This record gives sequence, C-alpha cells and structure tokens, in this order.
Amino acid sequence: MEDVFNYAPAIALFPLVAFVVALTFGKYMPKKGALAGIIATGGSLALSVLMLVAVASGEVYHETLYQWAIGDAASEIGADGIEFTFGILIDPLAALMLVIVSLIAFLVHIFSLGYMNAEGETGLPRYYASLGLFTFSMLAFVYADNLLMAFMFFELVGLCSYLLIGFWFRTRSAPSAAKKAFLVTRFGDYFFLLGVVAIAATFGTVAFAGDNSFVAAAESAIDNGDTLFGFGAETWVTITALLVLGGVIGKSAQFPLHTWLPDAMEGPTTVSALIHAATMVAAGVYLVARMFGYYALSPTALAIIAFVGGFTALFAATMGVVKDDIKQVLAYSTISQYGYMMLGLGVGGYVAGVFHLMNHAFFKALLFLGAGAVIVLMHHEQDMWKMGGLKDKAPITYYTFLAGALALAGIIPFSGFWSKDEILYDALIVGLEEPVILAAYAMALVAVFFTGFYTFRMVFLTFHGEPRSEAAEDPHDIGWSIKAPLVVLGVLALVAGIANLAPVAKLAHIDITFLEHWLDGEYGAVEGLTYSAYGELLAFETAYIGGEQLTVLIAAGVSLLLAFSGAGLAWKLYSVPEPVAHKERLGGARQTLESNYYQDEYQVWLAEGFTQPLARAADRFDQTVIDGVVNSVSTASLFSSSRLKRIQTGLVTNYAALLVAGFIGLLLVLGYVGGWFL
Amino acid sequence: MMIEALIAVALVGAFVTFVAPNRIAGKLAFAISLIPAGLSLWMFSAFDGSGNALLDGELAFASEFEWIQFGEYSISWLVGLDGISMPLVVLTTILSSLAIVSSWTPIDERESQFYGLVLFIEANLIGVFAALDFFVWFIFWEAVLIPMYLLIGIWGGPRRKYAAIKFFVYTNVASLVMFGAFIALVFGLGDVTTFALPDVTTAMLNGGPDGFLGIGGTTLASLVFVAMFLGFAVKVPIVPFHTWLPDAHVEAPTPASVLLAGVLLKMGTYALLRFNFTMFPTEVIEPFVIPIAAIAVISVIYGAMLALAQTDLKRIVAYSSVSSMGYVILGLIAYTQFGVGGATFQMVSHGLISGLMFMAVGVIYNATHTRMVTDMSGMADRMPVAVGILVAGAFGYMGLPLMSGFFGEFTIFFGAFGAEGLAYSQVFTALAMFGIVIVAGYLLFALQRTVFGPYHLETDYDVDRAPLHDIAPMFVLLGLIILLGVAPELIFEMITDAVDPILETGGEL
Repeated sequence: MEDVFNYAPAIALFPLVAFVVALTFGKYMPKKGALAGIIATGGSLALSVLMLVAVASGEVYHETLYQWAIGDAASEIGADGIEFTFGILIDPLAALMLVIVSLIAFLVHIFSLGYMNAEGETGLPRYYASLGLFTFSMLAFVYADNLLMAFMFFELVGLCSYLLIGFWFRTRSAPSAAKKAFLVTRFGDYFFLLGVVAIAATFGTVAFAGDNSFVAAAESAIDNGDTLFGFGAETWVTITALLVLGGVIGKSAQFPLHTWLPDAMEGPTTVSALIHAATMVAAGVYLVARMFGYYALSPTALAIIAFVGGFTALFAATMGVVKDDIKQVLAYSTISQYGYMMLGLGVGGYVAGVFHLMNHAFFKALLFLGAGAVIVLMHHEQDMWKMGGLKDKAPITYYTFLAGALALAGIIPFSGFWSKDEILYDALIVGLEEPVILAAYAMALVAVFFTGFYTFRMVFLTFHGEPRSEAAEDPHDIGWSIKAPLVVLGVLALVAGIANLAPVAKLAHIDITFLEHWLDGEYGAVEGLTYSAYGELLAFETAYIGGEQLTVLIAAGVSLLLAFSGAGLAWKLYSVPEPVAHKERLGGARQTLESNYYQDEYQVWLAEGFTQPLARAADRFDQTVIDGVVNSVSTASLFSSSRLKRIQTGLVTNYAALLVAGFIGLLLVLGYVGGWFL
Repeated sequence: MMIEALIAVALVGAFVTFVAPNRIAGKLAFAISLIPAGLSLWMFSAFDGSGNALLDGELAFASEFEWIQFGEYSISWLVGLDGISMPLVVLTTILSSLAIVSSWTPIDERESQFYGLVLFIEANLIGVFAALDFFVWFIFWEAVLIPMYLLIGIWGGPRRKYAAIKFFVYTNVASLVMFGAFIALVFGLGDVTTFALPDVTTAMLNGGPDGFLGIGGTTLASLVFVAMFLGFAVKVPIVPFHTWLPDAHVEAPTPASVLLAGVLLKMGTYALLRFNFTMFPTEVIEPFVIPIAAIAVISVIYGAMLALAQTDLKRIVAYSSVSSMGYVILGLIAYTQFGVGGATFQMVSHGLISGLMFMAVGVIYNATHTRMVTDMSGMADRMPVAVGILVAGAFGYMGLPLMSGFFGEFTIFFGAFGAEGLAYSQVFTALAMFGIVIVAGYLLFALQRTVFGPYHLETDYDVDRAPLHDIAPMFVLLGLIILLGVAPELIFEMITDAVDPILETGGEL
C-alpha cells in the first residue's frame, strides 16, 4: 500500500496539466477543455481515494520532494540554517480534504458541461484552464508539508479566484468584484506572509510536522521559557499565530474581511460552488486545522478565533435574511457557516471543526449547484421574487436543494445538524468556564435561528407557491450533467453526518464516531498531528450543565428548537401563494441590514476616500516639492548662464573695460585681505 | 577572453548595424544580439567562479593586463565575473535581444541608428557588470548614458528633450560626486597604487584610508561612503532622487524603457552592493544603517503611493520600479545571506518583470496610441494574448508565488526580519512589506480600468491582435520569470556563494 504514495504528486499535477492543455488547445477541443478538466479531476479523485484507503490501512506519507532554496540564517532559537522545500504531507486530515476537494472539483467540472457549455459562452478554454489551475493550487495547498509552501499555493488560490470571479470581464461589475476579492484577501495575506517570515526567522523551520517542525520548536521554546524577539515565548507564539490568522480571516471571509465574498457572486455559479465549498474559502479554515498544534499552544489566539467565528456566524446570518438574490443568500450563509468552523476550532473542537468543513463542502456545493440549476431553469434570473412554484416542475432540483437546505439549517438527521451541534456543544462546555467563549457560543446559537429562517425563506420563495414570472411558468430544461452532481451531493448532504454521531456515542454509547477516530490517528497518523496530541496542548477547562449527557441534550435541543423556529417563521411568512417581503417589520434595522452594516462603505472609503487622496497628495508633493527642487536647480543654472552670456558682447572695448574693472576689483580684495587699508 | 568577446561582438555589431540599411537593421541587430545572448548562456552554464570578485574570490572568465601608467598609479584592464555579476550579464544580453525584437513594431525611422545604439548600450552594460578596475568600470558606466540619452531624445515622446536632458544631467552629476569621492578615497588609501577594485577593497578592510587633504581617515571613509551612496542613489533611484525616472520612462520608446528599468536601474543597486556594502568595513556602515533602512522603507511605500496616483500606464510601472528598488535596498542593508542574496536575486527578477511590463504596455500602446488609463477599457476583448501576458506580468510584479518576484521579495523580507545588525528590523520589514498590498491595489485598479470592462477606446485606431514578434519576447520573459520562481536555486546558489564573503569580512554589523 505504501507504493501508492509515489503517485501523490500526480493528484495536484493532473489538474495542472489540464490547465495547460485547456489554455493551449482548449479552442480546438470538442468541449473546449472541459474533458481535460473532467479527466484530470477524475484522476485526482481516484488517486485521493487511494490515499484515503492507504491512510485507512495505517500508512501516512511525509516526504520532501524538492528543495526550493537553502541558506544560512541565524534563527532566534539558535538554528543557523534554513531550508525552504516543497514536500507532501498526507495524514488523515490531508487525505480527507484531498477527497473532498477533488470530488467537488470533479462534480463542478461535470456540472459546468451543462451550465457553461450550453449557451454560446465564449472564453470556455479560459474558464476550464482557470478551474484546472484552481484545483491544482488547492490540492497542492492541502497536502503542503510546510507553511511557506502552504502560503504559496494559498496565494495562487487567490489568483485563480481573481481570474474566475472576473470571468465575465466584459461587464463592469465582474472585474471590480475580482479586484476586490484579491485586494481584501491580499490585505489578510500581508499578515500571513509576515507571520510566515516571523515563524521562519524565529524557529529556523517552516515544517508542519516532524521533530523539526515549528510547532515542536515553539512548544519547547515555551517549555524552556525562551525570550523570542523581546517577547516571552508564549506571547510571541500568540503574535505569530495571529499574524497567520490574518490570511485565514481574509480567505475564509471572516469579519472584518468578509466583504469580498458577496461581491464574488459575479463569477459563474459553478465557480461560487467551488470557491465556497472546497477551495478558496475552505483554505482559510483548513489552514487553522493544518497547524492546529501551533494554535493550541496559545489560548489567547484560540479564544480570538472562537470569538471572531461566533461573531461572524451571527453577523453574516442576520444579513442573509434580507437578500433577494438567491446567490446572495448563499454567500452570506457561507460566511456564517465558516464562522461556525472557526468557533469549533477556536474552542479546541478540532474534530467538530473539520467535520463541519466536510459537511459544509458537500451541502454548500449542492446548494450552489442547485442555485445554478435554478438559474438555468429561470433563464438566468436570480431574483427569488421572480421565482416560485419550481417544486413540481423540477423535482430533482427541488429535492436535492431541500436536502442541502435541511443540512444548512441544521435539521436532524441531515449532515449539517451533526457537525453544527458538535461545534455548539464543544463551545458550550468550554464557555461554561470561559466567559468570552460563552459569548461566542451565544452568538452562534442565535445565528442558528437566523440560519433556519433565511434558508427556508429561500426554499419557499424559490420552489413553493405560484410562479411569479414567465420564466418560472416555463422553466428551461436541464440535462443529466446538471442533475447527476446534484444527486451525488444530495445523498452526501443527507448521510455524511454518519461519519461522526458524537451525541449518539455520548447518549446511547453506540460508538459511531469514525471521524474522531480517523483524526485521532487510529488508522494512519503522523506523530503530533492527532486529535489527542492537540488535546494535550489545549489549556481550556470544560464544565457541564448537570452531567455530560444532560449537556448534550440541552445543547442539541436548544439548537434544534431555534432551527425549527427559524424555519417555521419562514414557513409562516413565505410559504403562502403570494408571499410579500415583510421587510417593513424590521423597522430601523432594515436599512442597516440591507446596507450590510455599512461594512462596504467604510472599506470603500478606506480605499477611495482615504488612500486615493493620500496618493494624489503624495503625487502633488512629489511634482511640486521634490521635482520642484530638481527643476529649480536646473532653472537656476540655466538662468545664471543666460545672464552670464550677455557679457560676451564681442566688443573689444567692453572686454577691455571688464578686464580693468576686474583688475581693480582684484587689487581691492587683495588690498583688503593684505591689510593695506588699515 | 569570453567577456571581451561579448563586449566586442556587441560593439562591432553596433557599428555594423549603424551603417546597415534601415530596412534590415532590426533583424540584423537581433541576429547579432543572439551571439552575446548565446555566449553568455554558455558562460552561465560553464561558470566556475567562486567567492566574491572583490574579496579574493575565484573569478570566472577573468583577464587582466596593464593599460595606462601615470606616476605611481596604474590602470588595468581587469574584467571577470562572480556569482553576483554573472546573472546580471545574462539578464543584460537576453533583455537586449528581446528589447530589439520588441522595437520592430514601434520604431519606424532611423532604424539603423536606433538598433546600433541599443547594441552599444548592451556592450557597455556588460562592461559595467564585468569590469573590476575602477577606471574601466567608470568608462562603461558613463558610456551607458550617452546612447540612452539619444534613444530617449530622438525616438521619445513629445517631451523627450526635457526628459532626456534631465536623465542625463541628473545621473551625470551623481556620477561626478561618486567619481570624486572614489578618487579621494584611493588617494587617501596611500599605499594603493592601482584602481583595481579588489586591491582597494583589501586596503579598505585592512585599516582603511590614512586621510586626504587634511581629512582624517575615518572621516574620509564615512564621507566617501555617503557621497558614493548619494551618487548611486540617483541611479537606483532611491527617494528623493527618483524624479528623473518617471519622466524618462514616459518619454522613452518601449525598448529603451525595457533596458532602462530592466538593466540600467540595476547598475545602481549593483554598484551599491559592490562599493558601499562590500568595500567599506562595518564600522563605517554602522551609523548609516538605520537611515538607509528608513529610506528603503520610504522608497517602497512612497513609490507605491505615487504609482497609485498615476493614470499613465508607464508612469505606474515607473513608480512601482522605485518601490521595488526599495526592497533591494532593504535587503542589502539587512546584511544577511538571504537579505543581500535576495536583493541580488530581486535585481534580476525585477529586470525580467519590469521588462515584461514595459513590453506589454508598449504592445497596447502600439495598437491604441495611448497609455492613459482613462482612455481605454476592455482591451482584453481585442488583444487577448497580449492582455493575458500583461495580467501575468502584473501578478508577477505583485509577487505571486512560483514567479521570480515572490522569491526575491520573500528572501529579502526573511533576511531583513531577523537581521541582527539592523535595529528594529522587524518593524522595518513589516512596514516595507505593506508594499505588497499597495502594489496589488494600483496594478489591479489599472487592469480593471484598461483591459477589463466593456471595450472602449478614446483614440481613433483599430485595435487588433498584436503580431507574433511583439508577443514572442514577452513569452520568453514570462517563461524565465516562472522558471526562476520555481527553481530559484539556478542563480541563488551562485549569488549566495558570492555574497557570503561580504558577510564574513565586513559582516556581522
């Protein structure tokens, strides 16, 4: 089984080949590059599954493949050289994520056949090439064995999202959204890169795993009570961990760097599915999971992650309730759901966070592709108020979308319930000891209500009631390439929860917690990268209400109750033949919500109202003062020479007079210096 | 005699092209330029030097013979390459060839003179990087100015006279300051009777100058350090000596911009590394470390802010060069292997990337006859390949990983962050790094306005796909940028080999 790892590089390289093929030959190919992408991601998927099987049989893979740069650098803890390498790390986490990413990418490629290739779309080779590069970057990021390599592919993921969000570049809005996505995430990546540089300079290594990983080095530095760059070791670890978190907050669209994500809906819906479920946005949270050992060393950093996550979950969910565009609702739900994952990881719920990452990948890909199907049905209409009644006309789309919605809302027994519940439970038991975490938990709990509400508002407006436009009366046909991915994902949204039925284990003592065992390295494992290893580093205390079982019941019961009441309210308001918006009931909050809490306004102001004028002022300063000095030096010399040349009149008498005057002047000076006049 | 051959081929080629008919001058110059390009690539593969050229290193392709003797002083023809100059020579020859091809479309008058001058520049640039005797070096250094002055002054834009004179006078005055300072230093050193840079370096590191014209040895060394720094700062250029650069770039024809940004600016940083940071002992440099680091950070941020305010594509790239050169200065002053090595790498990398950017902007200009951001939009619709390369080049400029710019910037940041000789190195690094956000801002903004959006053009021209000979050189550059981004060790290894002796002798600030 070990030999199978020799093919690991191909997982990422297949889509890279597809990128090159689609870019160069896509024009001449029958499906404009789609087939190359499908074959490549299919190959990646097959190999990823093989890796999963290999890990299940107890093998792991950690190999340095390529030396990028090597040199001498005195690090803060005393190492005197550093190597920057490309290597592959396939442990349970990476193997799981590889399968998720390649599966979603594969399904998105197939879906694209029906979605993009259908209607005389130009630029398809560019589209498939970008998808290939996107998949390549994400897969390489997932199994990167060190922080620098992870950063590099993290950035490439950002590039690909730029290219794909701006795919319809002939519009005004798509290029603007693409720019915004790259810029906002780049702002986060600035901190990430600074964190990478700081970690490399501190520990002389950027490896994720092994004896010479920066995690191990940080742990021993803390144990030894070292001083790093003038800070105590733990403080410095917190600082660097938070710097890296900057990149996470940007890519995973957490507050306050979430503003790019709703705009990113300008891209094709297939791209949204890929970005939200498996690549760009997932990359941020995955990075926290990947270097969880480092975060576990810093309770402060974890608490900040938890709080940001809990806040973002609620913050985004409230904005989702007033959106009219089906993709916008899903966009805000993505921000909110990644908030849950951050909360889960932040309270030390490593398994819960990864579990939700997985489930969310399935049901969010499903919902976006479902929304894509709806958009096809609706002849490219995205406003939910013009839909309605699609339930009977497109049953496969409806039932799969419903499965995704139930998972998103966290309704038992759909997958989203199990993972969200586990996150909330983990947050609650820590929160009972830590007030900050309790606040984060409370926000995330309230968000459950909003999630149930906006999810079913979307479902009812889109599929129920009477058709509210001609397009909804007479929907466009959709083909198998659209339906098949929906069915696969619909099934996964329903059953993926089986991977980890933690409450069942706690209540009924039936141990169905595959994922926990998986991440704990009971199959294959890399030392130090297991759930229990992280558990030993974590400094959080936990407490229960009554007992463990009662706490489980309370946590699950409250969140289910909230989810149902949110969904129920949506049912009452919108599952009627002629629904109305009810926005006036929001009163003063309406304007704030529809303006997304003015987050865009202040960020746009920072860019256009502050930075641009500052740049123009700098330019004026440069033109007038700095260049002014340069020019005045030359003007002064030009002026004096132009005056000086006037004395060259060409008349001998003038020259003679000047000679005499000069001689007298010289005599006077000499006389004065020589003291003749004293 | 390989270096002599390189220079001779370019020089003879320059004269041949000069008298050739205009019709064939472009093709002829390209054919001739392939010889030094090929030769230098062969030299690169056969490179067997080690150590630093000024610090008793093993020179590759060295040759030396006495040239002029006056009084007790002698001037020698001394040339040779080490790991720092070798990549720069290859950069020069390749970029010259590509610049010649990129001139085929825009240059349509006095072609033989134009291409002759380009080859003449190439010869002198090779000389600058290869010469190790001060006088020989200085002759090449100054001789670069004249053809560049003519390229801007004859084939330039509407304000070409102003720009050309500003470029010439400004950099020439700076050279004068530097020249005077260096001569004073050599006279001050007393027992040194040659102008060979290795001899001067040895003397500087073993006791330094005794004094000159009544100025004490230590003071003299510091004064000369400052004077030479100022002299080179204009060339780099470092803020606040940068204002000639945007004017020169805007008026210069595309190929001149390519060489100007690609190689001429590197003369400044190369000379800073060779002279200021290699010759002078640590004690002399120490008081200037913080001011130089500050000036580097200011160059990065201020240059980037200026780029943000521009609406002329060439000015944007020109100011961003100021910003990028700030990184190089930061890397040099960090005085670590990754800092100085990364700075040298960044010289090569920026040469390739800025060359690519100027070519891409040039191709768009050839078609639209405007460079104003406000005059066009949606160019991607009409020139997909050229725009694709422009976008790729822009991301290279932003330091996208797996392209050479990222390696240069990352190693500089890494080298500077932990620099022991630089107080507050973490703060300086963090401030300079913010440049990577601003650069994304102005380049993406420019792209959004010009190449994306609905197609629109203010000027009255039909825009069509660029011809192959406009596109091909850009592909070559893009290929090199990606190659160096994926496999930086191709040159980084020889660079660090030449950088190490600097840190060992002068080092540990």
